[in-house]
Amino acid sequence: MAMSSRSPDATDVTVLGAGAAGVAAAVVAARSGCRVVVIDNGSVPGGQYFRGAATVTSSSVNSQPADLSYAALRIEFDRLVASGAIDYRARWTAYAASINDAEFVIRLRGDDRHRSEIDAVTSTALIVATGAFDRQLPFPGWDLPGVMSGGGAQSLAKGDDVVPGRRVVVAGTGPFLLAVSSTLLDHGASVPAIVEANHPARLMTQTSGLRGGLGKTGELVGYARQLARHRVPYLRRHRVIEAIGAGFLEAVRIARVDRDWRVVEGSERTVECDALAVGFGFVAQTDLAGQLGAAMTLGADGGLVIDVDADLATSVAGLFAAGETTGVGGVEAARVEGLLAGASVADYLGRPPALTSRGLRVVRRDIAMWQGFADALHTTFPVREGWREQVRDDTLVCRCEEVSAGQVREAIDDLGARDTRAVKLFTRAGMGWCQGRVCGSAVDSLCGFGTTQSLGGAATRPLAVPVPLGALANDQMEG
Amino acid sequence: MSPEIRFTFDGLSMTAGEDQSIAAALIENGILSWRTTRFGDRPRGLFCGIGVCFDCLVTVNGEPNVRACISAVEPADDVRTQVGDGHVE
Repeated sequence: MAMSSRSPDATDVTVLGAGAAGVAAAVVAARSGCRVVVIDNGSVPGGQYFRGAATVTSSSVNSQPADLSYAALRIEFDRLVASGAIDYRARWTAYAASINDAEFVIRLRGDDRHRSEIDAVTSTALIVATGAFDRQLPFPGWDLPGVMSGGGAQSLAKGDDVVPGRRVVVAGTGPFLLAVSSTLLDHGASVPAIVEANHPARLMTQTSGLRGGLGKTGELVGYARQLARHRVPYLRRHRVIEAIGAGFLEAVRIARVDRDWRVVEGSERTVECDALAVGFGFVAQTDLAGQLGAAMTLGADGGLVIDVDADLATSVAGLFAAGETTGVGGVEAARVEGLLAGASVADYLGRPPALTSRGLRVVRRDIAMWQGFADALHTTFPVREGWREQVRDDTLVCRCEEVSAGQVREAIDDLGARDTRAVKLFTRAGMGWCQGRVCGSAVDSLCGFGTTQSLGGAATRPLAVPVPLGALANDQMEG
Repeated sequence: MSPEIRFTFDGLSMTAGEDQSIAAALIENGILSWRTTRFGDRPRGLFCGIGVCFDCLVTVNGEPNVRACISAVEPADDVRTQVGDGHVE
Protein backbone atom coordinates (compact mmCIF):
# COMPACT_ATOMS: atom_id res chain seq x y z
CA MET A 1 0.00 0.00 0.00
CA ALA A 2 1.56 3.29 -1.10
CA MET A 3 1.67 5.98 1.53
CA SER A 4 2.94 9.05 -0.25
CA SER A 5 2.81 11.48 2.65
CA ARG A 6 3.95 9.03 5.30
CA SER A 7 5.37 10.70 8.40
CA PRO A 8 9.05 9.89 8.81
CA ASP A 9 8.54 8.55 12.33
CA ALA A 10 5.28 6.71 11.61
CA THR A 11 5.07 3.07 12.57
CA ASP A 12 3.13 0.35 10.74
CA VAL A 13 0.63 -0.61 13.42
CA THR A 14 -0.45 0.81 16.74
CA VAL A 15 -2.22 -1.59 19.09
CA LEU A 16 -4.34 -0.02 21.83
CA GLY A 17 -4.40 -2.34 24.82
CA ALA A 18 -2.10 -5.13 25.98
CA GLY A 19 -4.68 -7.63 27.19
CA ALA A 20 -5.15 -11.03 25.60
CA ALA A 21 -6.35 -9.51 22.30
CA GLY A 22 -3.68 -6.82 22.11
CA VAL A 23 -0.81 -9.19 22.93
CA ALA A 24 -1.98 -11.73 20.34
CA ALA A 25 -2.50 -9.06 17.67
CA ALA A 26 0.89 -7.47 18.28
CA VAL A 27 2.72 -10.80 18.10
CA VAL A 28 1.08 -11.88 14.83
CA ALA A 29 1.60 -8.46 13.21
CA ALA A 30 5.25 -8.41 14.30
CA ARG A 31 5.76 -11.94 12.93
CA SER A 32 4.73 -10.57 9.54
CA GLY A 33 7.42 -7.94 9.80
CA CYS A 34 5.19 -5.03 10.82
CA ARG A 35 6.70 -2.46 13.15
CA VAL A 36 4.31 -2.43 16.11
CA VAL A 37 3.70 0.02 18.93
CA VAL A 38 1.58 -1.24 21.84
CA ILE A 39 -0.01 1.28 24.21
CA ASP A 40 -1.30 0.13 27.58
CA ASN A 41 -2.14 1.87 30.83
CA GLY A 42 -1.09 -1.13 32.92
CA SER A 43 2.43 -1.74 34.13
CA VAL A 44 2.64 -5.31 32.73
CA PRO A 45 0.96 -6.94 29.73
CA GLY A 46 -2.05 -9.15 30.34
CA GLY A 47 -4.95 -6.76 30.80
CA GLN A 48 -7.64 -7.54 33.35
CA TYR A 49 -7.72 -11.31 32.99
CA PHE A 50 -4.01 -11.94 33.34
CA ARG A 51 -3.53 -9.28 35.99
CA GLY A 52 -0.94 -10.38 38.50
CA ALA A 53 0.42 -12.98 36.09
CA ALA A 54 3.51 -10.81 35.75
CA THR A 55 5.86 -13.70 35.10
CA VAL A 56 4.96 -16.51 32.76
CA THR A 57 6.92 -19.69 33.25
CA SER A 58 8.24 -21.11 30.02
CA SER A 59 8.59 -24.68 31.31
CA SER A 60 5.06 -25.77 30.48
CA VAL A 61 4.90 -23.85 27.23
CA ASN A 62 5.75 -25.23 23.84
CA SER A 63 7.34 -22.15 22.27
CA GLN A 64 6.75 -23.25 18.67
CA PRO A 65 5.05 -20.73 16.39
CA ALA A 66 2.12 -23.15 16.19
CA ASP A 67 1.50 -22.74 19.93
CA LEU A 68 -0.97 -19.88 20.08
CA SER A 69 -1.89 -20.19 23.77
CA TYR A 70 -1.76 -16.96 25.74
CA ALA A 71 1.27 -18.19 27.72
CA ALA A 72 3.22 -18.87 24.52
CA LEU A 73 2.14 -15.59 22.96
CA ARG A 74 3.16 -13.69 26.08
CA ILE A 75 6.67 -15.20 26.01
CA GLU A 76 6.98 -14.29 22.34
CA PHE A 77 5.63 -10.80 23.08
CA ASP A 78 8.37 -10.28 25.69
CA ARG A 79 10.99 -11.51 23.20
CA LEU A 80 9.71 -9.19 20.47
CA VAL A 81 9.77 -6.28 22.93
CA ALA A 82 13.35 -7.15 23.93
CA SER A 83 14.43 -7.33 20.26
CA GLY A 84 12.79 -4.00 19.46
CA ALA A 85 10.25 -5.44 17.01
CA ILE A 86 7.46 -4.34 19.37
CA ASP A 87 7.65 -0.94 21.03
CA TYR A 88 5.66 -1.57 24.22
CA ARG A 89 4.59 1.60 26.05
CA ALA A 90 3.37 0.59 29.48
CA ARG A 91 1.67 3.13 31.78
CA TRP A 92 0.57 5.36 28.92
CA THR A 93 -3.07 6.24 28.25
CA ALA A 94 -4.41 7.01 24.78
CA TYR A 95 -6.65 10.03 25.29
CA ALA A 96 -7.50 10.96 21.70
CA ALA A 97 -7.43 9.37 18.26
CA SER A 98 -7.61 11.10 14.90
CA ILE A 99 -6.77 10.58 11.23
CA ASN A 100 -4.33 12.91 9.55
CA ASP A 101 -3.34 12.38 5.87
CA ALA A 102 -4.54 8.76 5.98
CA GLU A 103 -2.45 8.06 9.09
CA PHE A 104 -3.73 7.36 12.57
CA VAL A 105 -2.56 9.75 15.26
CA ILE A 106 -2.92 8.52 18.83
CA ARG A 107 -2.32 11.10 21.52
CA LEU A 108 -0.91 9.78 24.77
CA ARG A 109 -0.84 10.96 28.33
CA GLY A 110 1.31 9.64 31.16
CA ASP A 111 -0.29 7.86 34.11
CA ASP A 112 -1.99 9.84 36.89
CA ARG A 113 1.31 10.54 38.60
CA HIS A 114 2.86 11.77 35.34
CA ARG A 115 -0.19 13.20 33.63
CA SER A 116 1.54 16.26 32.24
CA GLU A 117 3.77 14.03 30.15
CA ILE A 118 2.38 13.77 26.66
CA ASP A 119 3.37 12.01 23.48
CA ALA A 120 1.83 10.92 20.18
CA VAL A 121 2.17 7.89 17.93
CA THR A 122 1.47 7.92 14.20
CA SER A 123 0.77 4.72 12.28
CA THR A 124 -0.59 3.39 9.01
CA ALA A 125 -2.97 0.95 10.70
CA LEU A 126 -4.58 0.72 14.11
CA ILE A 127 -5.97 -2.12 16.21
CA VAL A 128 -8.34 -1.23 19.04
CA ALA A 129 -8.19 -3.86 21.79
CA THR A 130 -9.22 -1.75 24.76
CA GLY A 131 -11.35 -4.35 26.55
CA ALA A 132 -14.37 -3.79 28.73
CA PHE A 133 -15.46 -2.87 32.24
CA ASP A 134 -18.27 -4.05 34.53
CA ARG A 135 -21.80 -2.99 33.69
CA GLN A 136 -23.51 -1.47 36.72
CA LEU A 137 -27.16 -1.10 37.64
CA PRO A 138 -27.80 1.35 40.49
CA PHE A 139 -29.51 0.32 43.72
CA PRO A 140 -29.97 2.14 47.03
CA GLY A 141 -26.66 2.46 48.86
CA TRP A 142 -24.42 1.41 45.98
CA ASP A 143 -22.10 4.35 46.58
CA LEU A 144 -21.19 3.20 50.10
CA PRO A 145 -17.48 2.44 50.45
CA GLY A 146 -17.18 -1.33 50.45
CA VAL A 147 -19.47 -1.73 47.43
CA MET A 148 -17.34 -2.28 44.35
CA SER A 149 -17.43 -3.83 40.92
CA GLY A 150 -16.73 -7.53 40.47
CA GLY A 151 -13.81 -6.61 38.23
CA GLY A 152 -12.50 -4.27 40.91
CA ALA A 153 -12.58 -6.95 43.60
CA GLN A 154 -10.96 -9.36 41.15
CA SER A 155 -8.13 -6.99 40.23
CA LEU A 156 -7.54 -6.05 43.86
CA ALA A 157 -7.11 -9.72 44.78
CA LYS A 158 -5.25 -10.84 41.64
CA GLY A 159 -3.09 -7.77 41.18
CA ASP A 160 -2.38 -6.72 44.74
CA ASP A 161 -3.15 -9.84 46.79
CA VAL A 162 -5.59 -7.85 48.93
CA VAL A 163 -9.22 -8.79 49.54
CA PRO A 164 -11.75 -5.98 49.96
CA GLY A 165 -13.11 -7.45 53.18
CA ARG A 166 -13.27 -10.57 55.33
CA ARG A 167 -16.79 -11.43 54.10
CA VAL A 168 -17.57 -10.46 50.53
CA VAL A 169 -21.01 -10.94 48.99
CA VAL A 170 -20.77 -11.36 45.21
CA ALA A 171 -23.82 -10.23 43.23
CA GLY A 172 -25.20 -9.35 39.82
CA THR A 173 -25.42 -11.76 36.95
CA GLY A 174 -23.18 -13.93 34.82
CA PRO A 175 -20.52 -16.63 35.13
CA PHE A 176 -18.04 -13.91 36.08
CA LEU A 177 -19.60 -13.94 39.58
CA LEU A 178 -18.23 -17.48 39.98
CA ALA A 179 -14.76 -16.41 38.84
CA VAL A 180 -14.75 -13.47 41.26
CA SER A 181 -15.91 -15.69 44.14
CA SER A 182 -13.22 -18.23 43.32
CA THR A 183 -10.49 -15.57 43.33
CA LEU A 184 -11.75 -14.14 46.62
CA LEU A 185 -11.77 -17.59 48.24
CA ASP A 186 -8.25 -18.25 46.91
CA HIS A 187 -7.09 -15.06 48.57
CA GLY A 188 -8.60 -15.87 51.97
CA ALA A 189 -11.93 -14.06 52.00
CA SER A 190 -15.19 -15.80 52.79
CA VAL A 191 -18.17 -15.45 50.46
CA PRO A 192 -21.45 -15.43 52.47
CA ALA A 193 -23.47 -15.69 49.24
CA ILE A 194 -23.38 -15.39 45.48
CA VAL A 195 -26.51 -13.48 44.51
CA GLU A 196 -27.36 -14.29 40.87
CA ALA A 197 -30.38 -12.50 39.40
CA ASN A 198 -30.90 -15.02 36.60
CA HIS A 199 -31.46 -18.77 36.77
CA PRO A 200 -28.67 -20.43 34.80
CA ALA A 201 -29.96 -24.01 35.07
CA ARG A 202 -30.09 -24.41 31.31
CA LEU A 203 -26.56 -23.24 30.66
CA MET A 204 -25.00 -26.68 30.38
CA THR A 205 -27.58 -28.02 27.94
CA GLN A 206 -27.45 -24.87 25.83
CA THR A 207 -23.72 -25.01 25.49
CA SER A 208 -23.05 -28.74 25.41
CA GLY A 209 -23.23 -28.70 21.63
CA LEU A 210 -20.40 -26.23 21.41
CA ARG A 211 -17.24 -28.26 21.18
CA GLY A 212 -14.67 -25.78 22.50
CA GLY A 213 -17.11 -24.17 24.87
CA LEU A 214 -16.72 -27.34 26.86
CA GLY A 215 -13.34 -26.05 28.01
CA LYS A 216 -15.09 -23.02 29.44
CA THR A 217 -17.84 -25.21 30.87
CA GLY A 218 -15.06 -27.22 32.52
CA GLU A 219 -13.78 -24.01 34.09
CA LEU A 220 -17.30 -23.36 35.42
CA VAL A 221 -17.50 -26.88 36.82
CA GLY A 222 -14.18 -26.23 38.59
CA TYR A 223 -15.63 -23.11 40.18
CA ALA A 224 -18.80 -24.99 41.18
CA ARG A 225 -16.72 -27.64 42.98
CA GLN A 226 -14.68 -25.03 44.84
CA LEU A 227 -17.81 -23.12 45.86
CA ALA A 228 -19.44 -26.34 47.08
CA ARG A 229 -16.33 -27.20 49.10
CA HIS A 230 -16.49 -23.80 50.77
CA ARG A 231 -20.28 -24.16 51.19
CA VAL A 232 -20.95 -20.90 49.38
CA PRO A 233 -24.69 -20.51 48.76
CA TYR A 234 -25.42 -19.82 45.07
CA LEU A 235 -28.71 -17.93 45.29
CA ARG A 236 -30.31 -17.86 41.86
CA ARG A 237 -33.15 -15.46 41.07
CA HIS A 238 -31.97 -13.23 43.90
CA ARG A 239 -30.84 -9.63 43.90
CA VAL A 240 -29.17 -7.23 46.26
CA ILE A 241 -31.82 -4.56 46.71
CA GLU A 242 -29.96 -2.30 49.14
CA ALA A 243 -26.51 -1.74 50.60
CA ILE A 244 -26.64 -0.75 54.26
CA GLY A 245 -24.11 0.91 56.52
CA ALA A 246 -23.10 4.11 58.30
CA GLY A 247 -20.15 5.47 56.33
CA PHE A 248 -19.16 2.05 54.99
CA LEU A 249 -20.88 -1.19 54.02
CA GLU A 250 -22.09 -3.36 56.92
CA ALA A 251 -24.77 -5.51 55.31
CA VAL A 252 -26.81 -6.02 52.18
CA ARG A 253 -30.54 -6.56 51.82
CA ILE A 254 -31.25 -9.34 49.38
CA ALA A 255 -34.53 -10.60 47.98
CA ARG A 256 -35.85 -13.31 45.75
CA VAL A 257 -36.92 -12.04 42.33
CA ASP A 258 -39.12 -13.36 39.56
CA ARG A 259 -38.02 -14.03 36.00
CA ASP A 260 -38.12 -10.30 35.22
CA TRP A 261 -36.14 -9.43 38.36
CA ARG A 262 -39.16 -8.06 40.25
CA VAL A 263 -38.85 -8.57 44.00
CA VAL A 264 -40.99 -11.30 45.53
CA GLU A 265 -42.62 -9.53 48.45
CA GLY A 266 -41.78 -10.91 51.86
CA SER A 267 -38.58 -12.61 50.65
CA GLU A 268 -36.26 -9.80 51.76
CA ARG A 269 -33.53 -10.61 54.25
CA THR A 270 -30.27 -9.12 55.51
CA VAL A 271 -26.80 -10.61 54.97
CA GLU A 272 -23.94 -9.13 56.98
CA CYS A 273 -20.75 -8.49 55.04
CA ASP A 274 -17.74 -6.17 54.77
CA ALA A 275 -17.76 -5.82 51.01
CA LEU A 276 -20.00 -6.36 48.01
CA ALA A 277 -18.58 -7.19 44.58
CA VAL A 278 -21.26 -6.49 41.99
CA GLY A 279 -21.58 -6.50 38.21
CA PHE A 280 -24.09 -7.26 35.45
CA GLY A 281 -21.90 -8.27 32.54
CA PHE A 282 -19.56 -5.88 30.79
CA VAL A 283 -19.49 -2.73 28.70
CA ALA A 284 -16.98 -2.51 25.82
CA GLN A 285 -14.51 0.42 25.72
CA THR A 286 -15.38 1.83 22.33
CA ASP A 287 -14.65 5.54 22.65
CA LEU A 288 -11.32 5.77 20.76
CA ALA A 289 -12.80 3.89 17.77
CA GLY A 290 -15.81 6.19 18.07
CA GLN A 291 -13.56 9.24 17.85
CA LEU A 292 -12.31 7.89 14.51
CA GLY A 293 -15.86 7.55 13.20
CA ALA A 294 -16.04 3.75 13.30
CA ALA A 295 -19.57 2.40 12.94
CA MET A 296 -21.04 0.83 16.07
CA THR A 297 -23.63 -1.86 16.56
CA LEU A 298 -25.34 -3.70 19.41
CA GLY A 299 -23.72 -6.82 20.84
CA ALA A 300 -25.60 -9.96 21.87
CA ASP A 301 -25.87 -8.48 25.38
CA GLY A 302 -27.51 -5.29 24.08
CA GLY A 303 -24.42 -3.18 24.72
CA LEU A 304 -22.63 -0.92 22.27
CA VAL A 305 -19.76 -2.63 20.39
CA ILE A 306 -17.59 -1.78 17.38
CA ASP A 307 -19.05 -3.07 14.10
CA VAL A 308 -16.53 -5.33 12.35
CA ASP A 309 -16.54 -7.63 9.30
CA ALA A 310 -15.32 -11.23 9.19
CA ASP A 311 -11.69 -9.99 9.11
CA LEU A 312 -12.28 -7.67 12.11
CA ALA A 313 -11.99 -4.60 9.89
CA THR A 314 -14.14 -1.66 11.03
CA SER A 315 -15.94 0.80 8.75
CA VAL A 316 -12.76 2.95 8.76
CA ALA A 317 -9.99 1.85 6.36
CA GLY A 318 -6.95 0.57 8.27
CA LEU A 319 -8.80 0.43 11.60
CA PHE A 320 -9.34 -3.01 13.13
CA ALA A 321 -10.89 -4.08 16.44
CA ALA A 322 -10.46 -7.21 18.55
CA GLY A 323 -11.58 -8.69 21.83
CA GLU A 324 -14.35 -7.34 24.06
CA THR A 325 -14.66 -4.18 21.91
CA THR A 326 -16.35 -6.22 19.16
CA GLY A 327 -18.67 -8.08 21.55
CA VAL A 328 -18.13 -9.24 25.11
CA GLY A 329 -16.98 -12.86 24.84
CA GLY A 330 -14.26 -13.49 27.41
CA VAL A 331 -10.54 -14.02 27.34
CA GLU A 332 -10.36 -16.93 24.88
CA ALA A 333 -12.49 -15.09 22.33
CA ALA A 334 -10.27 -12.05 22.83
CA ARG A 335 -7.10 -14.05 22.21
CA VAL A 336 -8.28 -15.62 18.94
CA GLU A 337 -9.72 -12.32 17.72
CA GLY A 338 -6.35 -10.74 18.46
CA LEU A 339 -4.68 -13.39 16.29
CA LEU A 340 -7.05 -12.64 13.42
CA ALA A 341 -6.71 -8.85 13.79
CA GLY A 342 -2.92 -9.20 13.64
CA ALA A 343 -3.21 -11.31 10.47
CA SER A 344 -5.73 -8.92 8.90
CA VAL A 345 -3.58 -5.88 9.60
CA ALA A 346 -0.52 -7.57 8.02
CA ASP A 347 -2.61 -8.37 4.96
CA TYR A 348 -3.87 -4.78 4.82
CA LEU A 349 -0.26 -3.57 4.85
CA GLY A 350 0.73 -6.07 2.16
CA ARG A 351 2.99 -8.12 4.42
CA PRO A 352 3.48 -11.88 4.15
CA PRO A 353 1.08 -13.90 6.32
CA ALA A 354 2.40 -15.08 9.68
CA LEU A 355 -0.23 -17.76 10.15
CA THR A 356 -0.60 -20.68 7.77
CA SER A 357 -3.88 -20.86 5.89
CA ARG A 358 -4.74 -23.86 8.02
CA GLY A 359 -3.82 -21.90 11.17
CA LEU A 360 -6.03 -19.05 10.05
CA ARG A 361 -8.92 -21.44 9.38
CA VAL A 362 -8.59 -22.75 12.93
CA VAL A 363 -8.57 -19.19 14.28
CA ARG A 364 -11.73 -18.30 12.34
CA ARG A 365 -13.43 -21.51 13.48
CA ASP A 366 -12.49 -20.76 17.11
CA ILE A 367 -13.84 -17.22 16.83
CA ALA A 368 -17.17 -18.56 15.56
CA MET A 369 -17.22 -21.13 18.34
CA TRP A 370 -16.52 -18.60 21.11
CA GLN A 371 -19.05 -16.24 19.61
CA GLY A 372 -21.64 -19.00 19.85
CA PHE A 373 -20.64 -19.66 23.42
CA ALA A 374 -20.85 -15.95 24.29
CA ASP A 375 -24.30 -15.73 22.67
CA ALA A 376 -25.47 -18.66 24.81
CA LEU A 377 -24.13 -16.92 27.93
CA HIS A 378 -25.87 -13.66 27.07
CA THR A 379 -29.14 -15.56 26.50
CA THR A 380 -28.75 -17.17 29.92
CA PHE A 381 -27.66 -14.02 31.77
CA PRO A 382 -29.62 -11.07 30.34
CA VAL A 383 -30.46 -7.89 32.21
CA ARG A 384 -34.20 -7.92 32.93
CA GLU A 385 -36.37 -4.83 33.13
CA GLY A 386 -37.46 -5.37 36.71
CA TRP A 387 -34.14 -4.03 38.01
CA ARG A 388 -35.54 -0.53 37.62
CA GLU A 389 -38.23 -1.10 40.24
CA GLN A 390 -35.64 -1.22 43.03
CA VAL A 391 -34.38 2.18 41.99
CA ARG A 392 -36.06 4.73 44.26
CA ASP A 393 -36.27 8.38 43.33
CA ASP A 394 -33.50 9.17 45.81
CA THR A 395 -31.23 6.38 44.51
CA LEU A 396 -28.01 7.75 43.09
CA VAL A 397 -27.59 7.03 39.38
CA CYS A 398 -24.61 9.14 38.30
CA ARG A 399 -21.90 8.72 40.94
CA CYS A 400 -19.67 11.50 39.56
CA GLU A 401 -22.24 14.30 39.40
CA GLU A 402 -24.40 12.84 42.20
CA VAL A 403 -27.59 12.73 40.11
CA SER A 404 -30.54 10.74 41.47
CA ALA A 405 -32.94 8.48 39.61
CA GLY A 406 -35.69 10.98 40.44
CA GLN A 407 -33.86 13.68 38.52
CA VAL A 408 -33.39 11.38 35.53
CA ARG A 409 -37.09 10.41 35.61
CA GLU A 410 -38.05 14.08 35.86
CA ALA A 411 -35.94 14.87 32.77
CA ILE A 412 -37.86 12.21 30.83
CA ASP A 413 -41.38 12.68 32.22
CA ASP A 414 -41.53 16.43 32.82
CA LEU A 415 -38.81 17.97 30.66
CA GLY A 416 -39.36 15.80 27.61
CA ALA A 417 -35.88 14.33 27.24
CA ARG A 418 -36.04 11.77 24.44
CA ASP A 419 -32.43 10.63 24.28
CA THR A 420 -29.50 10.12 26.64
CA ARG A 421 -27.87 13.30 25.42
CA ALA A 422 -30.89 15.36 26.49
CA VAL A 423 -30.99 13.59 29.85
CA LYS A 424 -27.30 14.39 30.27
CA LEU A 425 -27.79 18.06 29.51
CA PHE A 426 -30.81 18.39 31.82
CA THR A 427 -29.40 16.46 34.75
CA ARG A 428 -25.58 16.29 34.32
CA ALA A 429 -25.83 12.48 34.53
CA GLY A 430 -22.81 11.26 32.58
CA MET A 431 -21.02 14.61 32.54
CA GLY A 432 -18.53 13.87 35.29
CA TRP A 433 -15.05 12.37 35.50
CA CYS A 434 -16.01 8.94 34.14
CA GLN A 435 -17.95 10.53 31.24
CA GLY A 436 -20.93 8.21 31.63
CA ARG A 437 -18.99 4.95 31.54
CA VAL A 438 -20.48 3.82 34.86
CA CYS A 439 -24.03 5.21 34.58
CA GLY A 440 -24.42 5.16 30.78
CA SER A 441 -26.07 1.74 30.48
CA ALA A 442 -28.34 2.39 33.45
CA VAL A 443 -29.48 5.82 32.28
CA ASP A 444 -30.19 4.41 28.85
CA SER A 445 -32.18 1.56 30.36
CA LEU A 446 -34.11 3.89 32.69
CA CYS A 447 -35.03 5.88 29.58
CA GLY A 448 -35.97 2.71 27.72
CA PHE A 449 -33.89 3.46 24.61
CA GLY A 450 -31.37 0.66 24.02
CA THR A 451 -30.42 1.70 20.48
CA THR A 452 -27.02 2.06 18.82
CA GLN A 453 -27.72 5.76 18.38
CA SER A 454 -28.67 6.35 21.99
CA LEU A 455 -25.87 4.28 23.53
CA GLY A 456 -23.42 5.66 20.97
CA GLY A 457 -24.37 9.23 21.82
CA ALA A 458 -23.72 8.56 25.49
CA ALA A 459 -20.37 6.91 24.68
CA THR A 460 -19.03 9.81 22.60
CA ARG A 461 -16.02 11.25 24.39
CA PRO A 462 -13.72 13.83 22.77
CA LEU A 463 -11.06 12.98 25.38
CA ALA A 464 -10.93 9.42 26.69
CA VAL A 465 -9.34 10.62 29.94
CA PRO A 466 -8.96 14.10 31.42
CA VAL A 467 -5.79 15.87 30.27
CA PRO A 468 -4.29 18.90 32.06
CA LEU A 469 -4.85 22.10 30.08
CA GLY A 470 -1.13 22.90 30.01
CA ALA A 471 -0.33 19.49 28.53
CA LEU A 472 -3.07 19.91 25.92
CA ALA A 473 -1.72 23.36 24.96
CA ASN A 474 1.80 21.96 24.52
CA ASP A 475 0.34 19.08 22.53
CA GLN A 476 -1.42 21.41 20.09
CA MET A 477 1.69 23.54 19.64
CA GLU A 478 3.80 20.51 18.87
CA GLY A 479 1.00 19.55 16.51
CA MET B 1 3.59 -9.21 49.56
CA SER B 2 6.16 -8.07 52.10
CA PRO B 3 5.66 -4.56 53.48
CA GLU B 4 8.58 -2.59 52.12
CA ILE B 5 7.37 0.90 51.36
CA ARG B 6 6.54 3.50 53.99
CA PHE B 7 3.99 6.16 53.26
CA THR B 8 1.53 8.30 55.19
CA PHE B 9 -2.22 8.68 54.89
CA ASP B 10 -3.60 11.86 56.44
CA GLY B 11 -0.41 11.96 58.50
CA LEU B 12 -0.63 8.36 59.76
CA SER B 13 2.35 6.14 59.03
CA MET B 14 1.54 3.08 56.90
CA THR B 15 3.33 0.40 54.90
CA ALA B 16 2.72 -1.00 51.43
CA GLY B 17 4.14 -3.73 49.24
CA GLU B 18 6.34 -2.87 46.29
CA ASP B 19 4.25 -1.93 43.22
CA GLN B 20 1.08 -2.14 45.32
CA SER B 21 -1.67 0.25 44.27
CA ILE B 22 -2.53 3.08 46.63
CA ALA B 23 -6.07 1.66 46.93
CA ALA B 24 -4.83 -1.81 47.87
CA ALA B 25 -2.38 -0.37 50.39
CA LEU B 26 -5.09 1.76 52.02
CA ILE B 27 -7.57 -1.13 52.18
CA GLU B 28 -4.92 -3.40 53.69
CA ASN B 29 -4.33 -0.71 56.32
CA GLY B 30 -8.06 -0.68 57.12
CA ILE B 31 -8.95 2.50 55.22
CA LEU B 32 -12.05 2.06 53.06
CA SER B 33 -12.76 5.66 52.13
CA TRP B 34 -10.36 8.40 51.00
CA ARG B 35 -12.51 10.94 49.21
CA THR B 36 -15.62 12.97 49.96
CA THR B 37 -17.87 14.07 47.13
CA ARG B 38 -18.23 17.63 45.88
CA PHE B 39 -21.96 18.07 46.49
CA GLY B 40 -23.21 15.56 49.03
CA ASP B 41 -19.97 15.28 51.04
CA ARG B 42 -20.38 11.49 50.72
CA PRO B 43 -17.49 9.13 51.49
CA ARG B 44 -16.04 7.23 48.53
CA GLY B 45 -13.35 4.61 48.06
CA LEU B 46 -12.56 1.88 45.58
CA PHE B 47 -15.32 1.16 43.09
CA CYS B 48 -14.43 0.00 39.57
CA GLY B 49 -10.87 -0.87 40.54
CA ILE B 50 -9.55 -0.61 36.96
CA GLY B 51 -9.27 3.12 36.30
CA VAL B 52 -12.66 3.68 34.69
CA CYS B 53 -14.89 5.32 37.31
CA PHE B 54 -12.61 7.93 38.97
CA ASP B 55 -14.37 7.34 42.31
CA CYS B 56 -11.12 6.48 44.12
CA LEU B 57 -9.48 9.87 43.51
CA VAL B 58 -6.99 10.81 46.19
CA THR B 59 -4.48 13.59 46.79
CA VAL B 60 -0.83 12.48 46.61
CA ASN B 61 2.03 14.82 47.53
CA GLY B 62 -0.30 17.78 47.07
CA GLU B 63 -1.52 16.64 43.65
CA PRO B 64 -5.29 15.91 43.66
CA ASN B 65 -7.24 13.57 41.36
CA VAL B 66 -4.88 10.60 41.37
CA ARG B 67 -6.73 7.32 40.74
CA ALA B 68 -5.75 5.20 43.74
CA CYS B 69 -6.67 1.94 41.99
CA ILE B 70 -4.16 2.21 39.15
CA SER B 71 -1.41 4.28 40.78
CA ALA B 72 1.35 2.54 42.70
CA VAL B 73 2.50 3.73 46.12
CA GLU B 74 5.96 5.27 46.06
CA PRO B 75 8.27 5.59 49.07
CA ALA B 76 7.46 8.48 51.43
CA ASP B 77 4.23 9.36 49.60
CA ASP B 78 2.06 11.86 51.46
CA VAL B 79 -1.42 10.52 50.66
CA ARG B 80 -4.38 12.59 51.80
CA THR B 81 -8.15 12.34 51.73
CA GLN B 82 -9.42 14.32 48.77
CA VAL B 83 -12.21 16.72 49.68
CA GLY B 84 -14.42 17.61 46.71
CA ASP B 85 -12.35 18.42 43.64
CA GLY B 86 -9.22 18.49 45.77
CA HIS B 87 -8.48 22.16 45.29
CA VAL B 88 -8.28 24.17 48.51
CA GLU B 89 -11.03 26.74 48.59
